[in-house]
Amino acid sequence: MTDAQRRWLPVPVLATVLVLWELAVRQSGQFMLYPYPSGVLAAAVRTIGDGSLLAATSGSLYRVLLGFVIGGMVGVPLGVLMGSLQSVNRAMSPVIDSLRSIAPIAWIPMAMLWLGIRGKAALFIVAYAAFFPFVVNTIQAVRLVDRNLVNAARALGAGRALLARAVILPSSLPVILTGARISLAFAWGAIIAAELAMGIKVSAGGSAAVGLGQLMVSTLYIRRDVNGLVLYMIVVGVISLLIDVAMRRLQRHLTPWR
Amino acid sequence: MDAKIEGRGLSKTYISARTGDQVEALRDISFRIMPNEFVSIVGPSGCGKSTLLSLVAGFASPTTGEVLADGVAITGPDPRRGVMFQEYALFPWRTVLGNVEFGPLARGAGVEARRALAQRYIEMVGLAGFEGRYPHELSGGMRQRCALARLLANEPEVWLMDEPLAAVDLQTRNILQDELLRLWGDAGDPASRRAVMFVTHGIDEAVYLSDRVIVLGRRPGQIKDVVAINLPRPRRAVRNTAAAGKLIDHIWSLIRDEAAQAIVEETS
Repeated sequence: MTDAQRRWLPVPVLATVLVLWELAVRQSGQFMLYPYPSGVLAAAVRTIGDGSLLAATSGSLYRVLLGFVIGGMVGVPLGVLMGSLQSVNRAMSPVIDSLRSIAPIAWIPMAMLWLGIRGKAALFIVAYAAFFPFVVNTIQAVRLVDRNLVNAARALGAGRALLARAVILPSSLPVILTGARISLAFAWGAIIAAELAMGIKVSAGGSAAVGLGQLMVSTLYIRRDVNGLVLYMIVVGVISLLIDVAMRRLQRHLTPWR
Repeated sequence: MDAKIEGRGLSKTYISARTGDQVEALRDISFRIMPNEFVSIVGPSGCGKSTLLSLVAGFASPTTGEVLADGVAITGPDPRRGVMFQEYALFPWRTVLGNVEFGPLARGAGVEARRALAQRYIEMVGLAGFEGRYPHELSGGMRQRCALARLLANEPEVWLMDEPLAAVDLQTRNILQDELLRLWGDAGDPASRRAVMFVTHGIDEAVYLSDRVIVLGRRPGQIKDVVAINLPRPRRAVRNTAAAGKLIDHIWSLIRDEAAQAIVEETS
């Protein structure tokens, strides 16, 4: 078998699975309960056509990125302080560690109570989820800075500012970027959970869905469209994958010496 | 003549991070390095020779005693005392050029000036054509050349070298020893030479390079002897002579027992 043939090997398997899946659902006749490939495709065409898929996806992504940035803006400076100053670390780590053990989605009821359901609460959950990987990795990054490199820079005449910019920052960047990658993955996972939980109420009130999670809820309870649900699951997965690829690219681009 | 570097009654005690015990690394060390003199520090593992160098560099301060540079007490690192590290300590995120121009950059040189300076020393150590490479793309010997160029580009008055050739293979080491001597001015005018403090565990290397060799004993590190190396320069001609061999044997006899003891302690 040639390499080219081997590369296309999964295609007939996938095609067979899709055909069998389609036939099985048609045979059962339970179209409201079981999704099927041609239905998913039709749902894709419809929701892309009327713009609802793009609107919901960009709504979710917008809040993920905003929460990610907030998590980083709080998490990185705190991590720098905790990693470099023993006293700050001693004071803060019990608080951080106990908060870290509470899953972000456990905050959803509280967040809904305080911040309402129109997006602020979801943003809080996302920022909360993104915050911890940033803190933990930044602490690690600062501690891992090679003493010899700091000494080398000082012996070459570097002052504090140059030391921070030309040694500490590039030295910690790879580990912080790894934290950022985990943060973004967590944030994306959290937004879907948060929107699912909050979407119930939004839909009950009859307002338009604003994120993928809300769209899933309204698709389940109002439209009862199982093919749409599968489509959104696929979109959630594809976006996770794209986020990971993009972050890895960014990491390679920003730290070419690795 | 006044000493370039002088240590007076130095001792260093620190708390071991591993065991929490007090460790006496150095005891009552006094020495002088003259402005154009190449001085090596040799001794068995655990004699505190790297600690001694870090005191002169200003990375650490002595528990008692003081280190003077040009008669002034050392309180911290200073670009007039360049340091070369055992594991190179090159900045991995900077290219060869970026590493070599770091000193001039730190001292406020403009782009043009520091590029020109870096380029000159890169050529001097034989790294021309490799300016754009990152350290991880270089061989051990080339990294060491880069570290040497980085030190030279700052034009320091004192070269502090902590086992700089320990991590390269034997042939590369021999070549780099000759390069080091050439750059120091082994064959040239003695007045053009810099003060060098060279820490090594290679006795033959110390004899080949130095004007004097300070021999340290261990636990705690203290001076056992200071051996003057009265071999003619340039040294290339006397590398394997009987006179050099005698000096090596003499220094080896001073530390042989302790070196053997160090091996036993480190393996147990």
